[in-house]
Amino acid sequence: MNEPATFQLPEQMSTIAADVDWLYYFIYWLSVVLFVAIVSAMVYWAWKYRERPGHKAEPTGHNMALELGWTVAPIFVLVFLFHKGAQGYMDLAVAPADAMVIHVNAKQWAWEFVYPNGGSSDELHVPVHKPVKLVMGSADVIHDLFAPSLRVKRDIVPGVYSSLWFEATHIGHDDIMCAEYCGGRSKDPSGNELPYAPSDDPLHPYPPGQAAGHWSMHATLYVESQQDFDKFQKSIGDPCDSFVSSGKPCPTQVAAEQGAKLYVSKGCVACHTLTGAKLVGPSWKGIYGKEESTDHGLMRVDDAYIKESILQPLAKIVTGYQGVMPTFAGQVSDAEIEELTAYIKSLKE
Amino acid sequence: MAAIDIPGGAGGHVADGHGDPDENYLTTQRGIRSWLFTLDHKRIGLMYLTMVSLAFLIGGTFALLVRIELFTRGRTIVDGETYNRFFTLHGAAMVFLFIIPSVPAALGNFFLPIMLGAKDVAFPRINLLSFYIYLVGVAILLTSIVMGAVDTGWTFYTPYSVQTGTSVISMTFGVFVLGFSSILTGLNFLVTVHTMRAPGVTWTRLPLFVWGMYATALIQVLATPVLAITLLLLIAERFFGIGVFDPKLGGDPVLFQHFFWFYSHPAVYIMIVPGMAINSELIATFSRRNIFGYFAVAMSSLGLALLGFLVWGHHLFVAGMSEFATVLFSALTFLVAIPSGVKVFNWTATIYKGSVVWASPMLYAMAFIFLFTIGGLTGLFLGTLSVDVHLTDTYFVVAHFHYVMMGGTVIAFLGGLLYWWPKMTGKMHDEGKAKVGFWLVFVGFNTVFMPQFIMGSRGMPRRYYDYLPQYEIFHKISTVGSWILAVGLFLTAYTLLEALWKGKKAPRNPWGSAGYEWMTDTPPCLTNFHETPVITRGPYDYHLATPEELATGWDEIDAPKAKAKKD
Repeated sequence: MNEPATFQLPEQMSTIAADVDWLYYFIYWLSVVLFVAIVSAMVYWAWKYRERPGHKAEPTGHNMALELGWTVAPIFVLVFLFHKGAQGYMDLAVAPADAMVIHVNAKQWAWEFVYPNGGSSDELHVPVHKPVKLVMGSADVIHDLFAPSLRVKRDIVPGVYSSLWFEATHIGHDDIMCAEYCGGRSKDPSGNELPYAPSDDPLHPYPPGQAAGHWSMHATLYVESQQDFDKFQKSIGDPCDSFVSSGKPCPTQVAAEQGAKLYVSKGCVACHTLTGAKLVGPSWKGIYGKEESTDHGLMRVDDAYIKESILQPLAKIVTGYQGVMPTFAGQVSDAEIEELTAYIKSLKE
Repeated sequence: MAAIDIPGGAGGHVADGHGDPDENYLTTQRGIRSWLFTLDHKRIGLMYLTMVSLAFLIGGTFALLVRIELFTRGRTIVDGETYNRFFTLHGAAMVFLFIIPSVPAALGNFFLPIMLGAKDVAFPRINLLSFYIYLVGVAILLTSIVMGAVDTGWTFYTPYSVQTGTSVISMTFGVFVLGFSSILTGLNFLVTVHTMRAPGVTWTRLPLFVWGMYATALIQVLATPVLAITLLLLIAERFFGIGVFDPKLGGDPVLFQHFFWFYSHPAVYIMIVPGMAINSELIATFSRRNIFGYFAVAMSSLGLALLGFLVWGHHLFVAGMSEFATVLFSALTFLVAIPSGVKVFNWTATIYKGSVVWASPMLYAMAFIFLFTIGGLTGLFLGTLSVDVHLTDTYFVVAHFHYVMMGGTVIAFLGGLLYWWPKMTGKMHDEGKAKVGFWLVFVGFNTVFMPQFIMGSRGMPRRYYDYLPQYEIFHKISTVGSWILAVGLFLTAYTLLEALWKGKKAPRNPWGSAGYEWMTDTPPCLTNFHETPVITRGPYDYHLATPEELATGWDEIDAPKAKAKKD
C-alpha cells in the first residue's frame, strides 16, 4: 500500500489519474459550495423566521424568473460534467495500438497474469512509461479488476473478453482487488471451518490455504523499470522451452520445478494443499499413484487421470469432495500439464 | 370564512346524528376478526405499518451484525460465508420488505384517501388482498432465508446466483409475489386519485403527498412487471436449460443486469419519491406557508418517475456495455439532477419568510434536506463517467445510496410517523424524547456513512468480509456510528409506542396545519369524515384558513407562545 495522494484519493500511478482527480475535486468543491449554500440558507431562515408572538408567515408568491433560473442554470454545469466525464471515459476505452498485452484469468478467488512470453504469475508486473492492455477473461462468475492508484476498473464477464489499458507513470506497487461480488468459502467439503487470519504483509495480505472469497481476491501490482520487468518475465518463462526447442526432453527435475511455480500462479494453491490437509479439493501430498474412490469407481491417480482432472474436473470426482473445480481447458498448455504432473509425482508421502 | 364544512369536524365535537362523536375507526369495531377482515384503508395501513416496522427491525439487525463484523480486520464474529448471507439479507429485507412498501402501503394507505376527502380507496377489497399478498411474499422470502444459502447480494447477479444454490429462485419468487402487492396498491391509488376526490379537491389543490403517491403508483404499475419477466426467464433457464443469462448455455449475464435494473432503478424512485412527498408536507406545515413553486414540486415527482425509467444503464458503466450506450446513459442520468434540485430549492425557499416551528417532524424535514443534498450531490460524481470508473463498486456508492435511501426515505418516514402519529393513534408523543432520538439518529447516521465516502474514494470495494489495514480506521468509526444510530432508532420507536399508553389525548390539529387530513376528527371516524367535505381552499393556504382551523389545541406547542406572552 502507498500513502494516499490526498485525503480522499489514493496515489496517482497512471497517466489518466491526474485528469480523473481534477474532475473529482472539481465536483467536490462544486458540491461543497452548493451544500453549504443550501444548508446554511435553510438553517438561517428556519431560525430567523422561527415562530414567535407577533411573527406571521408571509403568503407564498410566485417568482417565475427564480424558478426557471434554478431549473435551467444547473443544465450548463451538468453538460460540462457530462462532457468532461465522457471525454475521460473515451480515453480509457481506446488502447494505443502499441500497447503491450497481458492476459488476465480471473477465477474464484485468484488472479493469473499471462505475459507476452507465455510465462504466468499471480502478480501483475508492468514496465513504467509503457502502455499496457489487459485482456481479461473469467473461468466462473463475474469478477472485476480494480486498481485504485491506476483509476481503472472493469468487469470480467464469463463468456466474453473485456479489456482495459493504462500507462504507469512511476515505479512502485499497489493493490489490485476484485470489485464485483463473487462469493466466498469458509468451510472445507466435510463442513469443517477453514482457518482464517489475514497477514500484515501488504504484498500478500491473504495467505493461501485459508478461507477465501471476494475480499481475498487480491494481487499486487508492481510498476518497475524495463530492465526489471524483462528480468521478471525471464524468471517466469518456462525453462523447459530451451530443452524442447533443441529437440531434447525436459529433465524431470526442471519440469517439476516449473510445475511448482504453476501450482501457485495457476491458483491450484487456493484449493489443494501440499501438507495432506483437506481444503476444497484433495491434497496433492502423496496423491500420485494412489487408488482413489470416485463417483465412477476406483481410479488410480496417474498422468491420464491428472490431465482429465485439469481439463474436465467434473468427469470423476473423488468421494468426499464437491464438483466445484472450474475447467482449466484453454488456460494450461499440454506442456504445463506435464510440468504440473511432474510436480505432483515429486510430492511423495 | 369557513373553508371546510365538516359537521363534527372543524367546528368542534358536535353530535350530528351520525352516531357517537367519540367513536372512531379504532373503536367502532373490536376483536381480531375486525382487523383481519377489515376493508378500512386506515386499519390496513396500520397493519402494513406493523409489518414494515418488523421488516426494518430484521434488516437493521443484519446491518448491525455486518458493521460489528467489520469492526476489526480478520474474523470478528462470523466467517466469510455467514457474512455474505448477512449483507444479502440486510439488503433484501430493507429493499423488498421495508423500503418499497414502507411509505406508500403504510402512510399512503392511511392518508391518501383522507387527503382526498374520500371515505376509502377505490377498491377496498383489493387493498386487503394486496396486504395478504405482501404477507405471502414475506413468508416465502423469509423461508428461503431459513432454508438456504442466499449469499448473492440483493441484486442476484448471474451467473453467481445460478451457481450458488436453489434458494435464489425461491427468494426471487418471494420478490415476484411482493411485486403483485405493489402493483395492486399502485393501481388502487391511481384510480382513487382520479375518481374519488371530494368536491373542490382539484388537481391543483392536491396535497403534494398525494402527488408523490400518484407518481410512485405510476412506477409501481409500469416497472414491477419487468421483474416478473426476469424471474420467469430465470426459471426457464434453470428448469428447461434455455440459455438466457448463463454463458455456459449461450446466455448473457449482462442481460440479467439490464433486466434487473430496468425494474430496480425505477424502484429507487418508488423509494425516494414518497420520502420527498412526506417532506413537502412537513416543510409546508411547520413553515406555516404554501410550498414555494407548488406546481414545479408536483411535476418534479412525475419528472423523476419518468426519468427513473431511462437511467437503468448507469448501474452498468463498467459491466461491458457499448461505449455509445454508456455515454448515452451518463447524459440521461445527469437529467435526474434537475427535478431533484428543483425540490430542494423549493423547500428551502418555502422556509424563507415562513413561521418555522422547530418541532420534531420539522427537524427530520430539515435533516432530509441536509442528507438528501449530500446523497444527490455525490450522485454527480457517479454520473460523471471517468470518475465513476474509479468510484463504482466501492464504499463511495454504498455511502451515496444510503444517504439517499436512509438519509432521504427513512428520515422522511420517521418524520412522517411523528407528524401523523397523533392523527393515527389519537395520542401525543413526548417531544423531548423525540428530539433526543432525532439528534442521535442524525449524528449516528453521519458517523456511519461519512467515513464510507472516504474509504470508498480511497479504493475500498463493497461487499468485502475483510479489508486491507489502511481502511481499518474508517470501518471502526463507521461501526461506532451504527451503535449511536441504533440507540436513536430504538429511542424513537420507544417514544412512539410510549405515546400509546402514556400519551396525552391528541387534539384535532396538534401541529396547526392547514392540510385536509387535520380537518377531521382525531383519530378519524370509520368514514374519515362525517359528511363528504366540500373543499374551498388549497391544503397549504395558511392565509385563507380560519384561526379555528389552524388552532393547535396542544399545550406543548402552545406553551412556549403563552410563556413568551407572559414575559
